[in-house]
Amino acid sequence: MTGPRVVGSAANLPTTTFGHRSLVWWGTVGFMLIEGTTLFICAASYFYLHHRVSSWPPAGTPRPSLLAPAVQVVLMLLSIIPVAKADRAARQLDVAGVRVNLVLASLFAIAMCVVRGFEFAALNVRWDTNAYGSIAWANVVAHGTLLLLETAETLVFTALVFSPNLEQRDIAGVSDNSLYWYFMTGSWVILAAIVYLSPYLS
Amino acid sequence: MTATVAPTVGPGRVPEPLPELIGQLEQTWRDEPGILGWIKSVDHKSIALRYMITAFVFFLLAGLQALGMRAQLARPENTLLGPDLYNQFFTVHGTTMMFLFAVPVMQAVGLYFVPMMVGTRNVAFPKLNAYGYWTYLFGGLFIYAEWWFLNSGPDVGWFSYVPLANSVFTPGKRADVWAQGVTFTEIASLAAAVEIIVTVFKLRAPGMTLNRLPLFVWAMVVQSFMVLFAMPWVATATQFLAWERLVSTHFFDPTRGGDPLLWQHLFWFFGHPEVYIIFVPALGMVSSVVTAFTRRHVFGYPAMVLSLISTGVLGFGLWVHHMFATGIPQLSESFFTAASMVIAIPTGVQIFCWIATIWDGRPRFTVPFLWVIGFVVVFIIGGFSGVMVASVPFDRQVHDSYFIVAHFHYVLIGGAVFPLLGAFYYWFPKVTGRMLGERLGRWQFWLFFIGMNLTFFPMHQLGFEGMPRRVYTYLPETGWGPLNLLASIGAATLAVSVILLIVNVWSSLRRGLPAGDNPWDADTLEWATTSPPRPYNFALIPVVDGRGPVWRHPEGLPVFGGLRTDVRDVLLTTLLDAEPDSRHRHPVPTIWPLHAAIATTITFVSLIYTPWGAVVGFPLLFIAFVGWAWPRGRDHREQQVIEAERPVEVAS
Repeated sequence: MTGPRVVGSAANLPTTTFGHRSLVWWGTVGFMLIEGTTLFICAASYFYLHHRVSSWPPAGTPRPSLLAPAVQVVLMLLSIIPVAKADRAARQLDVAGVRVNLVLASLFAIAMCVVRGFEFAALNVRWDTNAYGSIAWANVVAHGTLLLLETAETLVFTALVFSPNLEQRDIAGVSDNSLYWYFMTGSWVILAAIVYLSPYLS
Repeated sequence: MTATVAPTVGPGRVPEPLPELIGQLEQTWRDEPGILGWIKSVDHKSIALRYMITAFVFFLLAGLQALGMRAQLARPENTLLGPDLYNQFFTVHGTTMMFLFAVPVMQAVGLYFVPMMVGTRNVAFPKLNAYGYWTYLFGGLFIYAEWWFLNSGPDVGWFSYVPLANSVFTPGKRADVWAQGVTFTEIASLAAAVEIIVTVFKLRAPGMTLNRLPLFVWAMVVQSFMVLFAMPWVATATQFLAWERLVSTHFFDPTRGGDPLLWQHLFWFFGHPEVYIIFVPALGMVSSVVTAFTRRHVFGYPAMVLSLISTGVLGFGLWVHHMFATGIPQLSESFFTAASMVIAIPTGVQIFCWIATIWDGRPRFTVPFLWVIGFVVVFIIGGFSGVMVASVPFDRQVHDSYFIVAHFHYVLIGGAVFPLLGAFYYWFPKVTGRMLGERLGRWQFWLFFIGMNLTFFPMHQLGFEGMPRRVYTYLPETGWGPLNLLASIGAATLAVSVILLIVNVWSSLRRGLPAGDNPWDADTLEWATTSPPRPYNFALIPVVDGRGPVWRHPEGLPVFGGLRTDVRDVLLTTLLDAEPDSRHRHPVPTIWPLHAAIATTITFVSLIYTPWGAVVGFPLLFIAFVGWAWPRGRDHREQQVIEAERPVEVAS
C-alpha cells in the first residue's frame, strides 16, 4: 500500500463557462448538426424532384409570392441585433441587459411565427397538388419546427431571467440560445432563396 | 465540501477519500429509493442497463419471429404461417433487429462504459439520456402493441419501399405504424449520439488526450457522428411517407411529379451507414477484448483510429449499391462498385492489426476471446460475399435472393452479434460483480457458431438456386427443401445457444464467482473502480498519462481532487488535451424526461390517425420541456448550495 498521488484540484475552477467551454454549447452544436442535416435533406429532395420534371413549377402551378418571405428575411436579419446583444450581456453576466434584449427577441420570434403563416400562403400551391407543392411545403414546415422550437425556448428563457430562481448557468444558456438563433435565421435565408426564388430561375 | 484523500490505494485502482466523504458521495449520487426513484433515475448506468435489457427482450422477440419463419420454411408448402402473417413476421423481425435491438444495444454499451472509460461520473446530459430511453421503450411497445392488439403489424419489409407502402397498396395503418415507430427510435438514437460525443469531448479525465482514448471510445465517437448524419435521412423519409399517407402529399407519386426512387435514395443514404453504425462499435469491443486477452495494446493504434474514421466516412458513399437493380446510370454503378470495394480496406487493416496483436501477445482463449475469433471467421465470410455483391453483374443475378439474406446475416451477426456477446462476457463482471460460467459459456459459443453457420451458409446456395427472399413458401419441385430444413435446424441450434446464455446469466447472478475490480487484468479506466460501480463511478477523478492507464499504474492511479461531494459536481476538460477547465453541476433525479417522452408518444401516435395530433401534441411537449428546464424543480439541498454560490444579482 502506498499513498495516492493527488496531482491537482478542481476546487478553484469556474462553474459557469461560455462558448465551447460549456457543455450546453456542445449540445446545441450537436442539435444544429442534426437539424442542419434535416434541412439539407429537404433542400436536396427539392432539387432531386426539380430535376425529374421539365418545368418547375409544373405547368398550371403559379410561382410563389415574394412579399411574405422578403418581410421574414428582413425580420430575421434585424432580430439578430437584440439576440447578439443578449449574448454579449449574458457573457458579462449583465442581467438587466439580458432581460431587455430577450424581451425584444421574444417579440421578434412571435412576429416571425405570424409571418411564417403568410409564408405558407405565399407558396401559392397546396401540399397535395403535386410533388412541387409537397416539397415546397416540406421545406417550410421543416424550418417551421426550428422556428417554433426557438420561439418556445426564447420565451422560456425570457420568463426565466425574470424569475427569482435565476442561476448563473441559466445566463450561460442564453448565450447558447443565441447560437441556435443565428443558425435558425441563417438557414432560412438559404432555404427561402431555394423555395421562393429558384422557381423564378427555371 | 471537497474530498480529502485517505492513504489507501489498491493495485491499479483509483484511490478513495475518507469513508465519511464516500458516504456523502453515495448520498449525493444515488437514486432515490422505491419505484419512483427508479423512474426518476438519471444515472447513466441504470439507464444504459435498462436500454440493454430492453434491447435484449426485443432481440428475443425478433428471434422468436425468426424461429417462426424458419419453422414455416422448413418444408415446402407448409401452412404454419399464412402469407399475411409471414409478411408481418419478416417485417417486424427486420425492423426490431435493426431499430430496436442492434443500434440501441450498441449505444447502450457506449452509454454504460464510455463515461467510465473516460473517467467521469455521468454522461453529459443525463436528463436527455433518460428521455432517450423512455422514447425508445415507448416506440418499441407501440409497434408491438399495434401488431398484437390492433392487427396493425408492419408488413411491407424493413425498408418499406413505395409504392408498396403507399396508401393505395397498403391501406390501413400498418405502414404508418412502421414509419412512426421508427421515428421514436431515431430520436432516442440521436439523443444517445449527442450524449456520447459531448461526454467524450468535454468530460474526459485530466490527461486523457485524444491520442490516449481507448479504441472502444473512438469507435463510439465515430458511430455517434454517423448517427448524427445518417438518422435525419430516415427521419425525413419516414415523415415524408407518413404525410404521403395522411395528408396526400406526392413526394413519391410519379403521376404528380414525384419519384419512388427518391424514397430509396433517402432510405439507403441512412440504411447503408446504419450497417456501420452497428458494426463500428463492435470493432471497438473487439479491440477492448483483444487488448485484455493478449496482454498487450492493440498493434497500430493510429492505423486503427484512422481506419475507424475512414470506415465512418466511406460508409456514406455506398448507398446506391442497394439500388443496382433500379436502372441507375452506368457511371454511378462503377463509382459505387469501387466505393463498396474500397471500404473493405480499412476493415482489413483492423483485422491485420488484431492478428498482429494476437501474434505478438499472450492470448488467453477464454470465452470473450472465443467470440472474437468467431467474429473474425464469420465476418470475413460476410465480407467476401459483400465484395462479390459489390460487382453489378453479380448483384443483378442474386438481387432479392437468399444469397443476400445469407450475406447480411453473416455481416451483421458476425460483425455485430459475435463481438457484442464477447463484450457481454467481458463486461458482465463489471456490471454485476459476478463472473459468468466459463463452461456454459463455451457450450453457448460453440452452439452459436455452429448454429449460425448451419442456418445461413446454405442460404448462399439457395440464392444461387434462385430462391427469392420474402416468400412464405415454395413448391417441392424447386428442390429447395433439404437446404431449408438444414437452415431451420441451424435456427433451432441458435435458439438453444441463446437459452444457454440466459441460464448462464441466471445462475451467475445467483451463485457466480465474485469478480473483483479487474478480473481480466484489463487496462482501461472502468476496471479501476468497483464491480458493480458505485453511483458516482469514481470517488476521485483519475489522472491519465498514457494509453492503458491501469497497466501503467499498478501502484494506483494519480488523482484529481477538489470536486464537491455534497452536490453532483463533474469535471470538464479541454477538447484536445483534456486539461482541467471547469466544474459542471449535474442534474438530480427528475420525472420530467418521462413526461416529455409521454408527450412525444401522444404526439406521434395521434399523428398516425389525424393531422390534428400536432395541435394536441406540441403544447404537451412544450409543457414537458418547460418543466424539464425550469430550475424550481431542482432539489432543495442543491438549491441551498446554489444560493451560497450565486453571484448573479437578480433583484430589480
